Amino acid sequence: MNVGVAHGEVNPNTRVMNSRGIWLAYAASVGVLHIVLLSIPFFSIPVVWTLTNVIHNLVMYLLLHTVKGTPFETPDQGKDRLLTHWEQIDYGAQCTSSRKFLSISPVVLYLLTSFYTKYDPAHFVINTASLLSVLLPKLPQFHGVRVFGINEY
Amino acid sequence: INHIVHNGGLYKRPFNEAFEETPMLVAVLTYVGYGVLTLFGYLRDFMRQWKIEKCQNATEREEQKDFVPLYQDFENFYNRNLYMRIRDSWNRPICSVPGAKVDMMERVSHDYNWTFTYTGRVIKDIINMGSYNYLGFAQKAGTCQEAAAKVLSQYGAGVCSTRQEMGNLDKHEELEQLVARFLGVESAMAYGMGFATNSMNIPALVGKGCLILSDELNHASLVLGARLSGATIRIFKHNNMQSLEKLLKDAIVHGQPRTRRPWKKILILVEGIYSMEGSIVRLPEVIALKKKYKSYLYLDEAHSIGALGPSGRGVVEYFGLSPEDVDVMMGTFTKSFGAAGGYIGGKKELIDYLRTYSHSAVYATSLSPPVVEQIITSMKCIMGEDGTTVGKARVQQLAENTRYFRRRLKEMGFIIYGNEDSPVVPLMLYMPAKIGAFGREMLKRNIGVVVVGFPATPIIESRARFCLSAAHTKEMLDTALKEINEVGDLLQLKYSRHRLVPLLDRPFDETTYEETED
Repeated sequence: MNVGVAHGEVNPNTRVMNSRGIWLAYAASVGVLHIVLLSIPFFSIPVVWTLTNVIHNLVMYLLLHTVKGTPFETPDQGKDRLLTHWEQIDYGAQCTSSRKFLSISPVVLYLLTSFYTKYDPAHFVINTASLLSVLLPKLPQFHGVRVFGINEY
Repeated sequence: INHIVHNGGLYKRPFNEAFEETPMLVAVLTYVGYGVLTLFGYLRDFMRQWKIEKCQNATEREEQKDFVPLYQDFENFYNRNLYMRIRDSWNRPICSVPGAKVDMMERVSHDYNWTFTYTGRVIKDIINMGSYNYLGFAQKAGTCQEAAAKVLSQYGAGVCSTRQEMGNLDKHEELEQLVARFLGVESAMAYGMGFATNSMNIPALVGKGCLILSDELNHASLVLGARLSGATIRIFKHNNMQSLEKLLKDAIVHGQPRTRRPWKKILILVEGIYSMEGSIVRLPEVIALKKKYKSYLYLDEAHSIGALGPSGRGVVEYFGLSPEDVDVMMGTFTKSFGAAGGYIGGKKELIDYLRTYSHSAVYATSLSPPVVEQIITSMKCIMGEDGTTVGKARVQQLAENTRYFRRRLKEMGFIIYGNEDSPVVPLMLYMPAKIGAFGREMLKRNIGVVVVGFPATPIIESRARFCLSAAHTKEMLDTALKEINEVGDLLQLKYSRHRLVPLLDRPFDETTYEETED
């Protein structure tokens, strides 16, 4: 309910992940990150893939599961102020297509990374821990859950 | 998506509406743009927090740092880092009446738009493409102004009372009879504020146990009125008749949510012209659906009254329908009549009911007399009752301007949303940097436009919105088009992949306007 606004959404953040072209932009930015890391001369291929995986998961965790609220004022009287962006997607409806896309992409990246690191044990530990850290908050059971009161307010 | 509908008899002329989809590369680059802006925003916030850069925002005093914070930092993020940078495209102070040309005060900023200083110079004669001035009645001098000045000295400036107590003047009665005659309805009632007309009268018409079917992009006043009424609200996709029919069918078959009782009333809320998209409602289909499923129709003609139709009677006349089919015809006097306030027209029993039960009749002050006189004079001018053909000329000029402007912009290759006949022309910009650049470049070339971006629009649909006016002469439009062409080349805004198809198979009838060939 906003005057002078071209849509009827209360919180535009909920629709950002459904917009046209954002999945492509996401895949393209991961690709660009990978190419930048590949161009650093003293990293070997397994290290580059592990770094891509870890940096991707870290940034995803920060942007989707740490930052709360909206960067602009919404007319819903602060209902979404304590929710992370992941919890705001589609107003909290679970298992929509953007949520599925964002859950599957770290898994795909993990599979590619395990292949390119030749299943080396040290890389395996790092990559699996990183994957778990970004998959667990996406489970429907973890909607609104704040472990040990971290990041609650 | 391009709709050209002939639809077997329901539409007497082709209904040509187009919303071209965002090109994929442009969408990806828009996200990159917002991403870069967000990164730099975080960087600047970091520098401000560590005192490397001076913080220009309002902050709390040092003694209060341990209290619960007064300002939410993150909610202001967009405002600080994106809006402030291009803030000079909005809220520009003007020095003259906002007609076809406007004078603006020149302002500069030495600290990147955090503060403005006025140089003292006044930029004269900026072509005004941002004001809602469809028939050009926003004038400083003329018959309307003289009549209003006379009434001001006679009746005073304000009424200071509600309609039901002492605020009912003979001017109001005269206005309401005139509005009823203008619309072709039995009776009408006028209110002091256009927003309040919607938000105060919908609660009087529907209540708990009723169903409201409202369009996705309805104005805030309609949404507020619907929420205040306590009825159940269901939203159908913008201008999509299949979605509306599905909702109607479901409502009638299933009834109220838990008890399955039939709904007391079903009210469909639509607008004549949607101001941010430039689309016109598919009124013939809505009326056909309304009759089939026996529901009521509330039509908000805020932008379309005076602007559509061969004699300016609004969207009902544009489609050649009868005003008796629309149960509640609401409109405002702000856009085409150069005044303020709103009206509701309909059957006599309905308006008599509203005179007693409407919230604004009981609690709000009535229209101020000089404003009423402005409406009366301008409405008489449009109807031709003042003895001249000025009104008809204005309506026709607006229609010519609309067709010409839209066609030239489409030929140049811009993406324009909306219906071919709507005087509101949204031109798509898409990228956040182009929003600010477009506003500034147009001001440098002496044209004033309105630009909107995220979060007021969906993230990939930022736009510039032109509002055409009958007061714009062809020379003004040509100048504006030339400048828009230059800016479009400079900023690479010509995204459209369709080339304009000339309309050859339009049936010729008396409502065809002259098309200016170029």
